[in-house]
Amino acid sequence: MKGLTKALAVFSMVGGAMFGTQALAEPFKIGVCYDLSKAYTFATPQVAQAAQDLAKLVNMKGGIGGEPVEVIVRDHGNEPQRGIECYSKLSREGVFVFDTLSTPVSLAILPRAMEDGRILMQSLVGRGDAVDGTVFDWVYPIGPTYWGQAANDVAYIKQLHDGDLSDVKVGFVYFDYPFGQEPIEILETLSEKEGFELELYPVPLPGSDQAGVWSKVRRDKPDHVIVWMLGGAHVVASKEMQRNRIPMEKYISVNWLNEVDVANIGTDAAKGIKRGTNVVGGQDVALFKEIMTELYDNGQGSGPIEKTQDVFYNTGLAMYSIMFEAARNAVELEGLPITPTSYKAGLESLKGYDANGLMAPITVTAEDHGGGGQTRIEMWDGEAWVPQTEWISEYGDVVWDVVKESSAKYEQ
Amino acid sequence: MFYRLSGVHHANYVSDSRIFKVPADRNLAVFIFLIGLAAPFIIPSLYLNSYMLPWLIWTAAALGLNLVTGWAGQLHLGYAAVMAVGAYSAIHAARFGVPWEFALIIGGLTSSVIGSLFAFAALRVKGLYLALTTLAMQFVMDWVLTHSPAISGGSHASLQSPTLAFLGQDITSDTGFYYVAFGWCVLVTIFMLNLKRTGLGRALVAVREKDFAAAILGVNSFYYKILAFATSSFIAGVSGALLVATFFFLAAPEQFSVTVSIQVLAMVIVGGLGSVIGSYFGVALILLVPGLVNGLVVTVSEGLGMQINVETLAHIPNAVYGALIVIILLIEPLGLGKLYGNIRDYLMVWPFDQFKK
Repeated sequence: MKGLTKALAVFSMVGGAMFGTQALAEPFKIGVCYDLSKAYTFATPQVAQAAQDLAKLVNMKGGIGGEPVEVIVRDHGNEPQRGIECYSKLSREGVFVFDTLSTPVSLAILPRAMEDGRILMQSLVGRGDAVDGTVFDWVYPIGPTYWGQAANDVAYIKQLHDGDLSDVKVGFVYFDYPFGQEPIEILETLSEKEGFELELYPVPLPGSDQAGVWSKVRRDKPDHVIVWMLGGAHVVASKEMQRNRIPMEKYISVNWLNEVDVANIGTDAAKGIKRGTNVVGGQDVALFKEIMTELYDNGQGSGPIEKTQDVFYNTGLAMYSIMFEAARNAVELEGLPITPTSYKAGLESLKGYDANGLMAPITVTAEDHGGGGQTRIEMWDGEAWVPQTEWISEYGDVVWDVVKESSAKYEQ
Repeated sequence: MFYRLSGVHHANYVSDSRIFKVPADRNLAVFIFLIGLAAPFIIPSLYLNSYMLPWLIWTAAALGLNLVTGWAGQLHLGYAAVMAVGAYSAIHAARFGVPWEFALIIGGLTSSVIGSLFAFAALRVKGLYLALTTLAMQFVMDWVLTHSPAISGGSHASLQSPTLAFLGQDITSDTGFYYVAFGWCVLVTIFMLNLKRTGLGRALVAVREKDFAAAILGVNSFYYKILAFATSSFIAGVSGALLVATFFFLAAPEQFSVTVSIQVLAMVIVGGLGSVIGSYFGVALILLVPGLVNGLVVTVSEGLGMQINVETLAHIPNAVYGALIVIILLIEPLGLGKLYGNIRDYLMVWPFDQFKK
C-alpha cells in the first residue's frame, strides 16, 4: 500500500524535476494556491486571471530588477489539507510569497507561514486580527478587514444623516457563520457610541431562502441595511426586497457584490444598490487599459475577455499590483535576490500606493499590516458604479480595539 | 510460489484464530511496519509531512468509522462532528495546562460520551433514518461551533493548539509529528486487527447481519451498537485532536464540516467496509489522489507546453478523480480492500491452482 503512494510520489517528483529544469533564469515567484473548483469560484477565476495578466505585463516591461516574475496558480479545492500540500510543495521550490483567497486554507497555512518565516498575503480573507503586525509578523491582509469595512459603512450612513445617528435604525443582514458574524461586534460597539439602533437578521446558509428575514425587515423599517452575503444570495435578497417593497437604496453590500450579481438581479432592478469597495470598479482605469492594449488586443490575455469585465478582476489587479510593487521596493532597498526579509521590508515601505488610481491608497507599516483599510461606497445607477464617498477609514480606534483584543488571544 | 502455500488449512482453533493466517501476510505487515519506522529517513520531508502524516491520521480515523459502519453496520454521517468534539476538548484541555497525554484521553472520552449519548437517541431508529439522525448531529455541532466563541476561539473561529509534548518532551520537528501519527495509526490498526478475533467483534458482525437474529442468539444488539459508537467515537476524538496538534496547528470549524464527514464515509466505502487494509487504500485514494492527480496534470500540461486555462486545469483532476472512484467501484463494489484480496487470493497458491481446476 505504501508502495503505491511512493510510486505516485516518485512519479510526480520526476515530473517536477523535468519541469524545474526548463526554467532558466530564477524568477520572483508568487504561490497562488486558490480554490478554483469549489466554494470560492465566484471570484477566484477573475483574480487568478488578473494575477497572470499582470505578471505578463510586468515581464513585458522587463520584470522586476531585470528578473522575470512568475505566478504559480494551483487549485486546492478549498480543502485545508490540500492548501497545506500546495504551500509545502511550492515553498520547497523556493516560493516565499503565498496568497490563498480562501479563509479555511489561509487559517490552515498561517501557523506554518509564521513558523517558517514566509509571507502570507491574505487580502479580504482569513482572520482579520492579522492586520496587527506586532503579533502576525509574516501575515499581510492588505485591504480592508470586515471590521474596518463595516465601520466605514456606518461612517457613510453618518454622512447621509448629517452626523447625527441618534434616531437612525440600521439593519444587519448576514450569513450566519464566521464570515457574516465578524462585523457584529464592531456594529454593536458603534451603535452604543453613536446611538443608532441595530437590528440583526441572520440568514441561514446557503442563503437561498430569505423570505422570513426580509418580511421582518419590512416590519422593523430600518433606514439602511448592511449586508454581509455573497454571490447568489444577493439575487435572492433583491427579489425579497422587491416583494416587500423595500427600496434598493437601503442595501449596502460587503465588497463581494460584482457585475455578475448585478446582471442576475437585472441592471434596472438593481438601480440604487450600494457596495463598499477598496478598488475602482469598471474599465476606466489606467492599468486596466494598458492590459487591454498590450495583452488582450494582441490575443495574449490569460483567459476569456468577459472575465475582465468584473470588479473582482480589478480586485485581483489591485492585490497583485501591491505584491509586485513590494518586490520592486525590496530590490530597491536591499537588491537582488529578493528574500523573505527584504520582501517584508518592501511591503512595509509601501506609502500611499494606489496602483495609479486603481484602488484606495495603502500605507503598510510594521504595526499596521492592513494598509490603512480605506474603502468607499459606490452606488449602481443602472449603467455604472457611482462613488458616494471619498476613500474613508473611520473609527480606527474602535476597530483597533477589537483587533488587539482578538490578536492577544493568538499569542496566548 | 509467492506465498509458499498449498492453501489455508486449519488443524486447530489456535491456528484459526491467528491474526495473520498466512505467514507471508505477517511478513509483509512486519516489512511495511519497518518501512513506516524508517520513513523519515527514506522519504523526502515534503512527502512525509504533506502526504504520509495526514494519510496515517485519517486512516486511524477511517478505521474508527469502519468499526461502526463496516463492523456494526450502522451508517454514520456525523463522524467529523465527533472528531471535532475530541479536537476541541483536547485543545482546550491542553491550553488549560493539562499535559497532552491526558488531554488526548480527555478528548477521546468527551467524544465517546457525546457520541454515545447521541447514539442513545439515534439508535431508536435504523438504516437510513439513523443516517439522517447522525447527519443532524453534524449540523448541531456545526451550529454550536460557529455560535460559541468560547469553544471555537474568537476571530474567524480559529483556536490555536499549544505545542505538542509527550513525557515532558516538546514535539516540534516533522519527524516527531510523523512518529506520533504513526504510533497512533499502528495502535488503532492493531486494535482493529484483533477486533475480529474477539467476542465483541463477532457480536458486532452478528448485529450487522441481522440485529434481531443476533438478539435471538442472546446478543444484546442495542448494547453492542452503543459500544460500537462509543469505541469509534473515542478513536475519532483522539484522531481529531492529533490531526490538529500535528498537522493543522489550529482548529477551525471548516476542518470538521459536513463535507469532511462525507469524505470519511467515502474513504471507508471505497476502501471496503470491514476491511482494515482497505481503509488504508481508501484514505489514500480520497485524501491524496486529488492532490497527486492535480500535480500530475499540471506537470504534464506544462511539460507538453500546453496553454490551459487555470480553471480548466483545476477541473480536470476532479473529473479524473471522480471517474477513478466510479471505475474502482464498478470493478469491485466491495472496495479497494477486496481488490487487493482478490489479487492476493489469486496469487496464494499460484501456479498450482491451475492444476486443481
